[in-house]
Amino acid sequence: MRDKTARPADHTNLRGLELALVALPVAALPHVWHQPPWITALVVLAIAARAWLLGTGRPAPSLGVMSVLAVIAGGLTFAQFGTVFGQEAGTALLLVMIAFKLLETRNRRDIVIALFLGYFVVVTTYFFDQSILIAAYSLLATWLLTAALIQVHAGRVIPRPRLARQAGAMLLHALPFMLILFFVFPRVEGPLWGDPQREQTARTGLSGELNPGDIANLLQDESTALRVEFDRQVPPLRAQYWRALVMTDFDGRRWSADENRSVIQPTAADTDNLIRYTATLEPTRARYLPMLDYPSALPEDAELRANYQVLRDRPVTSRIQYSAEAALTTPPGAGEPTLDPQERTRALHLPPSAAPRSRAEVALWRATHGDDDRAIIQAALQRFSSEPYRYTLQPPRLEDDTTDTFLFETQAGYCEHYASAFAVLMRAADIPTRVVTGYQGGAWQARGEYLRLRNADAHAWNEVWLDGEGWIRVDPTAAIAPERIEQGLPGLASDTGEEIPGFLRRGEGLSWLQRARFGMDDWGDFVRFRWESWVLAFDPERQRELFARLGLDSQDWRSVLIALGVGFGCLALIALTWVGLRRPRQRHAPADRVLQQLSRRIARHDRRLERQAHEPVDAWSRRVARARPDLRESLKAFAETYNRQRFAPLTPEQRREDLRHLRSLLYAVPRGKPPAPGPDPVQA
Amino acid sequence: MTGPARSRGRMARLRDDAIRWITRRHAHDGDQAHLGRDRIYILPTRAGYTLFGIILVMLLGSINYSNNMAFLLTFLLVGIGHNAMWYTHRNLLGLQVSTLPVPAVFAGQPLTLPLRLSETAGRAREALVLRIGTHSSAPFPVPAQGTHTAKLELPGLARGVYRLPRQRLDTRYPLGILEVWSWLTLAPEIVVYPAPIDPGHTTGDDGEEAAGAHDRREGDAPDQIRPYRAGDPPGRIVWKAFARSGKLHVREFASGQGDRLWLEWGAMPASDTETRLSMLCHQVLAAHAEGRVFGLRLPDQALEPAQGVIHRDHCLHALARFRSTPVEMNPEPGP
Repeated sequence: MRDKTARPADHTNLRGLELALVALPVAALPHVWHQPPWITALVVLAIAARAWLLGTGRPAPSLGVMSVLAVIAGGLTFAQFGTVFGQEAGTALLLVMIAFKLLETRNRRDIVIALFLGYFVVVTTYFFDQSILIAAYSLLATWLLTAALIQVHAGRVIPRPRLARQAGAMLLHALPFMLILFFVFPRVEGPLWGDPQREQTARTGLSGELNPGDIANLLQDESTALRVEFDRQVPPLRAQYWRALVMTDFDGRRWSADENRSVIQPTAADTDNLIRYTATLEPTRARYLPMLDYPSALPEDAELRANYQVLRDRPVTSRIQYSAEAALTTPPGAGEPTLDPQERTRALHLPPSAAPRSRAEVALWRATHGDDDRAIIQAALQRFSSEPYRYTLQPPRLEDDTTDTFLFETQAGYCEHYASAFAVLMRAADIPTRVVTGYQGGAWQARGEYLRLRNADAHAWNEVWLDGEGWIRVDPTAAIAPERIEQGLPGLASDTGEEIPGFLRRGEGLSWLQRARFGMDDWGDFVRFRWESWVLAFDPERQRELFARLGLDSQDWRSVLIALGVGFGCLALIALTWVGLRRPRQRHAPADRVLQQLSRRIARHDRRLERQAHEPVDAWSRRVARARPDLRESLKAFAETYNRQRFAPLTPEQRREDLRHLRSLLYAVPRGKPPAPGPDPVQA
Repeated sequence: MTGPARSRGRMARLRDDAIRWITRRHAHDGDQAHLGRDRIYILPTRAGYTLFGIILVMLLGSINYSNNMAFLLTFLLVGIGHNAMWYTHRNLLGLQVSTLPVPAVFAGQPLTLPLRLSETAGRAREALVLRIGTHSSAPFPVPAQGTHTAKLELPGLARGVYRLPRQRLDTRYPLGILEVWSWLTLAPEIVVYPAPIDPGHTTGDDGEEAAGAHDRREGDAPDQIRPYRAGDPPGRIVWKAFARSGKLHVREFASGQGDRLWLEWGAMPASDTETRLSMLCHQVLAAHAEGRVFGLRLPDQALEPAQGVIHRDHCLHALARFRSTPVEMNPEPGP
């Protein structure tokens, strides 16, 4: 094939350029928020310059100028990112390349390449955003790019409405392909190369360490962390503690989780009280899976560790879905008489110098209550509720010993401070205690019947060991006096139910405007959730399930071939049927129908005059004319017009005109007997 | 001829043979061809391979980043690319191509080949290109249920009668990633007259003066005036009468034996065939312009004296066909 596109500059070849200058900026627009401003400025400048050159009929800049500009831009990109690979740098380079390609466009090939790269730009948008809005927007961009591509290859200017329709039809026709391939194309667990998770832009999530003051950023983040759909029974809000990380080790200031605990089996649970649910987790880049207290059945790719922390076999780098089961009333170690000695030592460890004032305080409690661990716990909670502790996201800095400073001086903080301080108090009292972080509360979405947990719902609480009862959950933050919880936190509207712990009643006192905003927000989250759970969460695991439901095995290439064959077979069948139904009728069909009607009409006067199938129209008309002189003229005209209609090359207008004439001749023949010798109907 | 050039020539011949074998069922289209499924071919273009590469990279990226939206867009493009086969094919399918008379030209003048394309399937067609060898027409559309006359400019030829070589009708509309084409073997007759050469002023058979002088002399004594008939040379219209009456009349001379002009092969002051034919061509044109009654005598035939456009064209055709059999024209510029 010789390529004729690479001709010298030709104005007719630049016809699609105009449209490309619209479509490409539209495709690139979502990148404005993710690229350094100078990239945006460069692209805008290049496009404006090209539009100006096009408008004034000037040629594109020379190759020399372009090379210098390209080298400068490549250098700038490298200087900015230190590389030209990877998501951000790669995208930046792509945008700069397109800008220059547009600027130097001389012929059709240049525009085509720029438009192809435009499709690429649309894909790179998904590095940063996978919302349904972006999906709709990229359809728009793809539509414009396709329209531009059509215009580039049309030999003339195609009217915009036709162009729009044609490009739209192309997208529509491609949709079935997209769906079939999306579900059937064999999915493999990425990545194929590199380490995409390192490249991911920062994700929020719980940290493996707890250092009072850490979660604050998270608590102001209203984005969704986890969504949960319950199979049947929805647990009471009070019981909705989602454990993610369990921290036993304390160095006096910082709590840390240990991912190397041994794997255990969940405690046998009371089967009546099981809650089954499916959770959709946003990427955290960590291995923990938030599980409803207390996990009793786990997803396949996760395991339960000795500290009752559930870890996945690999980090959560993209949004995942998992199903699990929880036993609300079976805490870890329930029914065991004593704690494993090694574990006990770990759960009691306090650095010798840590929290001297707290230790003294606890010694007093011990003296009062003797061996009664429950009474000690109550004493600690009592302290939080009776003294002027405040719940605030902007606590004062903690100097010296964090626990003592918090407990006896500042008395202001949020869940982390309370959980940490409580654990220190308990350990000082010789009660094994650990800190658990995760999510609590969340907003029930009546619209989609799912629970939405935001990053702002992150929480920290404690578990204390009581012989014979196991690890009992204690939430010290819930103990502080409700009136001391600061209002107007960047909290959320929907947690206003009676059952909710006081500190979560954050929606009170909001104006209707804020409520409306939160309402809209919930609607948006519903749409997002459906989009995410139906489209974005599709992965090798879901594909396996889908195939299994069809009696196929997604790991077997024969099954994949069968699925592809059946999918495309059905598609081809539908397409063929559709094309067949739309096939235009033979052109002479209307004329034949009129002929048939005329023959039948005349036969009603006289049976013998009906046209025989073998009889040419001319012969028949002469035969009828002999028997019916009154019809001679109109039959003659009919035969002539009919033959012209059938055999002459006519314009559509002439064809319609002739057909009208045929009909008028037909209508001039009276319907029933007796034939009334009327005036000659021939007008032509 | 150098080595590479020879091998290129051999490759071209091989390619030509292959195409002839592929199109053997449609080797003689005559004056019209219907582009059915059995003669439409399709292959990806360079742009098509480029897009394929881009889609492949997008697919690898989708897998690597486990990005479902990227999968969706990639597969959407796969769908569009796949359907482009259908769109492009349909842009050519069902067209009817028929020959139109090729206006004769003089040797060396560029030739315009007209072909009529009729659309009957009810789909407007876009950006079709007609090609012969390296010559191609501008892209043209064909309206739904309508016709379009495609014109292809071909370079000037030597005197003679020619057959058209294989034609190619192709399109890349709408996306340019695929090319669909059909080979046509339409055979309109192409006639190339000799290029006229003025043989000088004293070249008549029996020492007559040049035709221009005759005209003046005869113009003094017109035999009669009769109404204009199509084909009368404009030089003989009586314009004065036209100004008076508004009707066209022409002068008619007495057609005596002495006034008859015979354009003789043997009288041309040249030795080689082509020059003689060129001179005769000039004479024919001059005689027609003057409205003379003239005959043409060639070694193998004689055209009896007559006048008018039809007679002129007969004479010119006779000159074009003189000792010439139809050959396939070679549209490629070369030695």
